[in-house]
Amino acid sequence: MMNVTIKISSLFRKFTDGQEFVKVTGNNTVECLHELEARFPKIKRWLYDKQGNLRPQIWFFVNGQKISADDLTKPLNDGDELFFVLAISGG
Amino acid sequence: MLDKSELARYERQILIPGWSKSGQEKLKKAKVLVAGVGGLGSAILTYLAVAGVGRIKIIDGDKVELSNLNRQVLHSDKDIGRDKVDSAKEKLEVLNPQINVEAIKETIDENNVFDILGDYLIVDAMDNLPARFLLNKVAVKKKLPLFHGAVYGFEGRATTVVPGKTACLRCLYQGVIPGKIPVVGVTPAIIGCIQASEVLKYILGIGELLTDRLLIYDGLSMKFSEVRLKRDPNCCECR
Repeated sequence: MMNVTIKISSLFRKFTDGQEFVKVTGNNTVECLHELEARFPKIKRWLYDKQGNLRPQIWFFVNGQKISADDLTKPLNDGDELFFVLAISGG
Repeated sequence: MLDKSELARYERQILIPGWSKSGQEKLKKAKVLVAGVGGLGSAILTYLAVAGVGRIKIIDGDKVELSNLNRQVLHSDKDIGRDKVDSAKEKLEVLNPQINVEAIKETIDENNVFDILGDYLIVDAMDNLPARFLLNKVAVKKKLPLFHGAVYGFEGRATTVVPGKTACLRCLYQGVIPGKIPVVGVTPAIIGCIQASEVLKYILGIGELLTDRLLIYDGLSMKFSEVRLKRDPNCCECR
């Protein structure tokens, strides 16, 4: 299992007790998210739709590089930083 | 050529390295369209106008409402009920009488977007994703740059799309969660100023653009961060 830091964007920090960084372990993005949800269950409804699929309105980045839906199960490395943000469109 | 009053008006920015009189002349000849005269549009338009962008086209189909006034600083109480484009044009012409502002009171759609945008540089100051996708579609087809910004509460984002070279909005967005968007005026002001800066740099050919980079502004912790974007090889718009 890899040690991964999840950076929490401001819109989601209300679900992580204000924490900007949460340390988790997992082999890929999906596994890391599962640990995050287990510790902060309220975040789950923002990450998944009613069918239980990850919302396409969430953008994921590993070490600052955007990844696609296909990359969510690709192996992460020890020390990687996972970051996700909600797509927004206000003007 | 710049006349005496223009040289005086723009004196301080002409001093910026890489700007000079020739840069100011480029701005005078430039054509920029700002789609949306809301929170983002108010900031973008204000600073493009005072910087001396010679031809500015603004498009918005809405009228000014009281609930706009916490962030849309080109409008005020006396403008409530007026077309936003008329209210904005009036203010911009006061701010800088030496530029040309064209106001188009329309909602862009598939039928009019290509004609309205013409060959203008495109600034995305819209408040909804379908309209943003229309702008993106024209930008990609006509290979025109698109300067994107979006806000939510105290958070904002900006990126610059150069079709054929960078990720486009369709590479990035697969929808947004519906609902009324919370926003405080300072957020679109900051993001709008970033978009305006990008436009000026693009026209002048100076600095480094926000291409393939998404700037994320977090006003609550007062931090800027940046992530890298890449073109989606399966993008429905730009592949």
